[in-house]
Amino acid sequence: MENKTIRKFKWFWAWQDEAEEDWLREMSKEGYHLVKIGFPTIYTFETGQAKDYVYRLDYRSYYKMEKEDYLQLFRDSGWEYVEEMAGWHYFRQQSRRDEDLEIFTDAESKIGKYQRLLTFLGILALPQVIFITTLGDPPPYEWFSPIRFIIVLIFLLYVYAIIKILMRINQLKRI
Amino acid sequence: MNAKKLKKYLPLTEATYYIMLVLVEPLHGYGVMQKVEQISQGIVKIGPGTLYGAFSSLEKEGLIEMVSEEQRRKCYQLTDKGRQVLVGQIDRLEIMSANGLPVRKHLVNTLDNGE
Repeated sequence: MENKTIRKFKWFWAWQDEAEEDWLREMSKEGYHLVKIGFPTIYTFETGQAKDYVYRLDYRSYYKMEKEDYLQLFRDSGWEYVEEMAGWHYFRQQSRRDEDLEIFTDAESKIGKYQRLLTFLGILALPQVIFITTLGDPPPYEWFSPIRFIIVLIFLLYVYAIIKILMRINQLKRI
Repeated sequence: MNAKKLKKYLPLTEATYYIMLVLVEPLHGYGVMQKVEQISQGIVKIGPGTLYGAFSSLEKEGLIEMVSEEQRRKCYQLTDKGRQVLVGQIDRLEIMSANGLPVRKHLVNTLDNGE
């Protein structure tokens, strides 16, 4: 019998990676196993037997990595590569009672993940700063144009995301 | 290489220390994970995300190098620079341990008396 798939829309912000891992695990316990993630964040699940999959997310941009070496390390240590979405890499492994399953085993490397994410968010936010402060409006340069307003809102969201991630890094440092 | 240049790498994190320690002989990633867990008596486990990051930065800094490839798995080994850094780290650990052991003895005694 062919497995059925279902689709679910769910939104997680960049700083909610752990909540997303937990959600995916809960889904797997109900028999929904992640197949792919479409843009914007539509999760496709395959329906099947209930399993206890532990999901773990890494953030890494492609241009800086040797993907085959990277995936080989994960495969060798029992992780199945499920999906990649906008730099996020999704891995899963069936939970074993006697073991914590982590892809990052110390605070330094967990912090490293959030620092890579910060770099990316910083690069994305930069053009908006330029847009807000200099360009974007035709003369005579009205300060309160709708476009500028929207861009400012998006920019504030970036700032919020960056603050949330910095807080997460700080928390990891204290451990 | 002079001591000042080596010092910038020290102290190593526990994970990096163990990774370098087992790379005195050529090993691929999974071999490193297994060996570290074994020699640390199960105290230090290294996940693939942590190991990939460590390999990248150690290779970039010239402390390890790829020496061969086995079934699509790259085998790494310490470079001379890596060996010097590791010696520096072991020296530091020796001092740490020499300082700690008498204190530990004292602490254990006071704890025993307290019970």
